[in-house]
Amino acid sequence: MTLPIALDAMGGDFAPSLIIQGARRAVDELGLEVTLVGVPELMGDPMGLPVVACTEVIAMDDEPGSSVRKKKDSSLVRAAELVRDGHASAMVSAGNTGATMASALLRMGRLPGVLRPCIATPIPNPGRAPSTMVDAGANAECTPEMLVQFAQLAAAFAGARFNIDAPSVGLLSIGEESSKGNPLVKATHELLAATENLNFFGNVEGRDLIPAPVDVIVTDGFTGNVALKTLEGAFKFVFSTVLKVIDTNDETRKAGEALFPYLLPEAHTLTPEYQGGAMLLGLNGLCVISHGSSNDTAIMNALRVASEMHNAGVVEKMRLAIRPDQG
Amino acid sequence: MTDADNNSITDRAGLLALVKSQLAEILETTPDEILEDAPFADLGADSLALIELVEALEEVLSAQVAGFHIDDEDLEDLTSVNDAVSYVAAKLNLA
Repeated sequence: MTLPIALDAMGGDFAPSLIIQGARRAVDELGLEVTLVGVPELMGDPMGLPVVACTEVIAMDDEPGSSVRKKKDSSLVRAAELVRDGHASAMVSAGNTGATMASALLRMGRLPGVLRPCIATPIPNPGRAPSTMVDAGANAECTPEMLVQFAQLAAAFAGARFNIDAPSVGLLSIGEESSKGNPLVKATHELLAATENLNFFGNVEGRDLIPAPVDVIVTDGFTGNVALKTLEGAFKFVFSTVLKVIDTNDETRKAGEALFPYLLPEAHTLTPEYQGGAMLLGLNGLCVISHGSSNDTAIMNALRVASEMHNAGVVEKMRLAIRPDQG
Repeated sequence: MTDADNNSITDRAGLLALVKSQLAEILETTPDEILEDAPFADLGADSLALIELVEALEEVLSAQVAGFHIDDEDLEDLTSVNDAVSYVAAKLNLA
């Protein structure tokens, strides 16, 4: 029997309607099993999907830790419990990121030996598998030991998720040489270079994020989040500039008509909707965190990613990456 | 679970051992590394780690005192192992 994916129907800017529509599409178009978790009185039509009822919702601006403790019958907490109790293969939410992380951490628990969970975000690479950036914002302050674990977890994830043999790992810094960087980066470089069973490439710089010369880019959560938001902002600026130029006159508009069929598919792969969301690594269960502005397509893709991660045995591979002796 | 977790807590020393063992498990270290006067920040315990600690203490101590609960509003005043032990000891009326 296939376990369903638990979907937080109440989380996200367009919840619950587009979240439920995304679930329906995942069932119809991808053949996935999905269980909605939500407040029936607020959900509207569940579109024929099974519902696990709860009575509370964690709002986007609720404080993550305390809201998880106070709202024990919330859709987020219940979704995490479905995974913990073996009733779901993974959870997906487009709601409050911090609360999603807290729910998953407190209910599923960490894998043995994991210091802190981290957020992995795929960054598209034209023509090949995405690279995985970790940590994308879970831990603003890190130790070198934490960064080494993030690298091990992300390498296990990238290997399983994108079918990469011995994923290469780069450390984000301000220069390629091992002597470059702040004390955290220099100490981490030394540890990564000495870590067995890890394909450490060396330092990479901000300009190497797209396309990346490595499969995994490791950094602390503060830097990772700033880097990702910078990329998002730069993409938006470039796209809007291109569109503005194309709309200059009849001649450029005609050129645009010729280019759009080629540009749009490429641009589509760079959108959050296509990537499906970020993954929480290091827990004893699967959790996909979707963008707060997720529409039905984004939710469908997030559910696809969750399913593929489950089928690839990502949790077990992360467990072995941290504790290889338990294989 | 360690011995400190399984035994009934009857005094402050037992409670300290419990807090140390639970925090050590969360921080992937040993209880010996957890000093009583250490601020949580110096131990690398962030806000989520503290919530993990609170949930673990509530689970263990509920077996001794039904419905044992730590108020979230009080959490921000607990900045060290000593603070946490004193706070819980007062709730349990321990010497």
